[in-house]
Amino acid sequence: MAFATHLARQIINAIALLTAVLVLNFCLIHLAPGDPVQVIAGEMGGASAEVVAALRAKYGLDQSLMQQLSIYLGNVAVGDFGYSYYFNQPVLGLILQRLPATLYLTLCALSAALAIGTMLGVVSARRPNGLFSHAVTVVSLAGYAAPIFWTGLLLLLLFGSVWPILPVVGMADVVNPKHGFAYVLDVGRHLVLPSLTLALVFIAQYSRLARVNMIEALSADYVRTARAKGLPEWLVVGKHALRNTLIPIVTVAGHQFGNLFAGAVLVETVFSWPGMGRLVFDSILRRDYPTLMAVLFFSALMVMTANIVTDMIYRLVDPRIRTGRR
Amino acid sequence: MTIETSSPMAAPQIDLSAPAAVPPWRLALRQFMKSPSGVAGAGMLLLIILVAVIGPSLYPVDPLDLVGAPFMPPDADAWFGTDYLGRDVLAGLIHGGRATLAVGAVAALITIAIGLVIGAVSGFFGGAIDAIMVKITEFFQILPPLLFAMVLVTLFGPKLTTITLAIGGVSWTSVARLTRAEFLRLRDLDFVKASRAAGASSANLILRVLLPNALPAVIVSATLAIGVAILFEGGLSFLGLGDPNVMSWGLMLGQNRNYILDAWWAVMFPGAAIFLAVLAISLVGDGLNDAINPRLRRRS
Repeated sequence: MAFATHLARQIINAIALLTAVLVLNFCLIHLAPGDPVQVIAGEMGGASAEVVAALRAKYGLDQSLMQQLSIYLGNVAVGDFGYSYYFNQPVLGLILQRLPATLYLTLCALSAALAIGTMLGVVSARRPNGLFSHAVTVVSLAGYAAPIFWTGLLLLLLFGSVWPILPVVGMADVVNPKHGFAYVLDVGRHLVLPSLTLALVFIAQYSRLARVNMIEALSADYVRTARAKGLPEWLVVGKHALRNTLIPIVTVAGHQFGNLFAGAVLVETVFSWPGMGRLVFDSILRRDYPTLMAVLFFSALMVMTANIVTDMIYRLVDPRIRTGRR
Repeated sequence: MTIETSSPMAAPQIDLSAPAAVPPWRLALRQFMKSPSGVAGAGMLLLIILVAVIGPSLYPVDPLDLVGAPFMPPDADAWFGTDYLGRDVLAGLIHGGRATLAVGAVAALITIAIGLVIGAVSGFFGGAIDAIMVKITEFFQILPPLLFAMVLVTLFGPKLTTITLAIGGVSWTSVARLTRAEFLRLRDLDFVKASRAAGASSANLILRVLLPNALPAVIVSATLAIGVAILFEGGLSFLGLGDPNVMSWGLMLGQNRNYILDAWWAVMFPGAAIFLAVLAISLVGDGLNDAINPRLRRRS
């Protein structure tokens, strides 16, 4: 029951914050230099006199700001995020078309980062002063400092020209079939480099986090008890210590979805991955503001969803939070 | 009976002050010098800053000038080659460091300033003010900072000031949360209560009593904020949102990236420059963290 109430409260909070994002978008359109109608039409769009007049009428640009805001919110409420004059189609459709590609990329990168990062951290925590541990520390520092688009370009250069064994452009080969197992395999091969690039930054962070938490867990009383009981070492590390190491990593990962998405924008641009990031790049290039604004809204929506899901997982995994109050 | 008493003036001198008080920053510096990676990072950073400051006068080639044919590979004439327009890559690296480091430093200052003010006000006053500030912070947290900065720079135009303001204005939430937590922790400690009881005003308490004690926790994230800001500048320029009139490492990368297969040097060198600068900053940040926050000192 407490769980359901908590979830309900979270969702109401999310709706309030997302509405605030829409208000922010509205303010930005009006704060930007130039006539709002030009902003809505996009600088590159064919804003003919008729289009401008139609937009003025649709968004009530001759009415008061509050009335304009309520028109704007009303439009969004029925799924109308505006029209992209560059792509010549409604913004919502544009985003929904590209959402799956971005989700493949981000979720793939996130799982890889969680698995590899945790593994590196756990192994290096076993001998905190060993050679492997130092190597992991160096790699994680480098992974944190390397600009993601630069690592992407390095990999693109390596696998596109020096050692061409993996595809570096797009999501699937034009000549390959677009259905069945062959298609899945094709997309999978195209996914390797972009998701690896995106994962590297997060592998760096998670391995550091896993290392610190594992070192702490291994010196805790419950681990000593488990060892004293005579449990084999792999069970002590793999079950008892790992569980407590994972909780903070999952929390951090869940709350970093915004960074993951922003990273995807850069990675998709490098590898021409046809997702929302690539859409952002094209919209920036064409000054296609309605699309850009809608992407900002949808990214906030994804961040909120990730936060709520993380919070729920956290509550399920950690009984102290489920029963007690935070 | 006379007791031999010496006059009070001649009483044996007892030093009541603490034994050789060392200022805390000195202790931290001493601790910092013990970390080889921190010192190496500081050395690297100083070198990079030095090149950016005096390099342009030692190598007075205009980074925006066309000095040769496009895509000239590194050779004796142009050590780092030329880019897609025939501009000298080395000149870009030396001159571009100025803009990149300046954007990083100023944006980080803005980040810290906003974060400190919101965090301090929130943690100090509590109650309704805290609730409002926490909501504002929460709101900014759901907007991916880099994406938000992209929107701002696209709307308001890619000028160096806009870029700096946008980067500084979007990434302050972690500083605010950290400051708030520190203020909440410190607020109820005895020395703060004593100052309050002695009649210190709120401004005085915040600025003179709480802030100096909260700073150590914030200083590390302040350092890291410079690195993040440099990466953001790079990311924005990479997407075509760099100031085309000011050479920066990010701009070099962004303008040359389409020609990477023809001229890897025009992309790899500026990327490496960003990488080294951010690496140096994070090494310094790590060293500072170990030196300032003994609680968090690595157990290894």
